[in-house]
Amino acid sequence: MNYTVNLLLMLFLLATAVVAIALKDLLAAVTVFSAYSLMMALLWTQLRAPDLALTEAAVGAGVTTVLFIITVYKTTRKEDR
Amino acid sequence: MKRLLVLAALSVVGVVLLYGIGKMPPMNSRDTPDKTHVVPRYLEKGVEEAGAGNIITGVILNYRGYDTMGEVSVIFAALCAVIAILDREKKGRSRSGVDASGVEASVIVRTVVRFSLPVVLLFAVYTILHGESSPGGGFQGGAVIGASIILFTLVFGLPVSTARMPLRARIPMESVNMLGFLSMGFIGLAVGVKFLTYILPGLHGTAAETVRMIMLNVIETGIGVGGGVIFISIVFSMIREDQYELQQDIPQH
Repeated sequence: MNYTVNLLLMLFLLATAVVAIALKDLLAAVTVFSAYSLMMALLWTQLRAPDLALTEAAVGAGVTTVLFIITVYKTTRKEDR
Repeated sequence: MKRLLVLAALSVVGVVLLYGIGKMPPMNSRDTPDKTHVVPRYLEKGVEEAGAGNIITGVILNYRGYDTMGEVSVIFAALCAVIAILDREKKGRSRSGVDASGVEASVIVRTVVRFSLPVVLLFAVYTILHGESSPGGGFQGGAVIGASIILFTLVFGLPVSTARMPLRARIPMESVNMLGFLSMGFIGLAVGVKFLTYILPGLHGTAAETVRMIMLNVIETGIGVGGGVIFISIVFSMIREDQYELQQDIPQH
C-alpha cells in the first residue's frame, strides 16, 4: 500500500516536472509547478520529514507560485520560440 | 552539432551522478550518514542538550543556531533587494494593474477565502507556538501567515489589503526576526557565556528550563512574524503599479 502510494507520487512528480518544462504557456507551467510542489510536500511526509513538508507546501506551493504568477502577469504569458 | 555537444555534456553528468548513486549505501541500512555521524548524538541527547521536544527545532535553533541566523538574514536581505529594485507601494498610487484586470473574484471565491482565512491563520499561530514540541516552527508558520495574507490580497485587491496592513505597521515588524535572534543571542554574551546560549549560568532546574523555553519561543515568534511580513511586503512591492505605468496600456493577455 505504502509502496504503491510512493510510486504513484513519484510518477506524478516526474510527470509534473516534465510538463512544467515542456509547456509554452507560462501561466499553465506555473500552475503545474505548484502541483509539483504539492507532490513534493506529500513525498516529504512519506520520507518522515514533516517540517520540510510544511515548508514546501507553504513556500513552494503557496508563496512562490503567487510570485511567479505576478511576474508572468507583468511580463509576457507566452514563451517566445 | 550544438545538440550533440549538449547531449555529450548531459551524458557525462548523468554517468557521474549515477556512479555516485551506486556508491551510496542502501536506504535504511546501517551505513547511511544519518546513522554514522552526528545524528545519533542529536537523537540521544538532543532533548536534554537543546531543550526542545522536537529534535529538528533543537538542531535548527541550538546545534545549528548560527546557520539559522544566516538564513534569517538572507530572507531579510531578499526583502532589501526587492525594495531597492521595485520600491515600496505608495499611498495614492497603489491601484494595481492586477486589480485593473477587469475580472473580479466571484462570490464563491470571496466567501471561501473569508471563511478559511481565520482557520489558516490560527494554524499558522499554532505552528509557530508549538515549534519546539511538534513539526513546524517559526519559518513554516511565517510562510503560512504570508501565504494567507497574499491570498487575501489576490482576492480582495491591493488597496483593501494595504489599508488593513499599512506600511507603518509592517516596517517595524519586518525586522523582528533579525532583532529577536540577535537580542536573544546577546543575552548569552551579556551574562558571560557564548553567543546564542540558552542555558544561562546561575540558573538551575525549572528556572533554567523556563528561561530556555521563553528564549526559544521569542526566537520562533520573531522568525514567524518577521518572515511572514517580509513575504507580504515583497508581494505588495511586486503587485504595486505606478500611476505612470497605469496610464500606459496595460498588456492584455
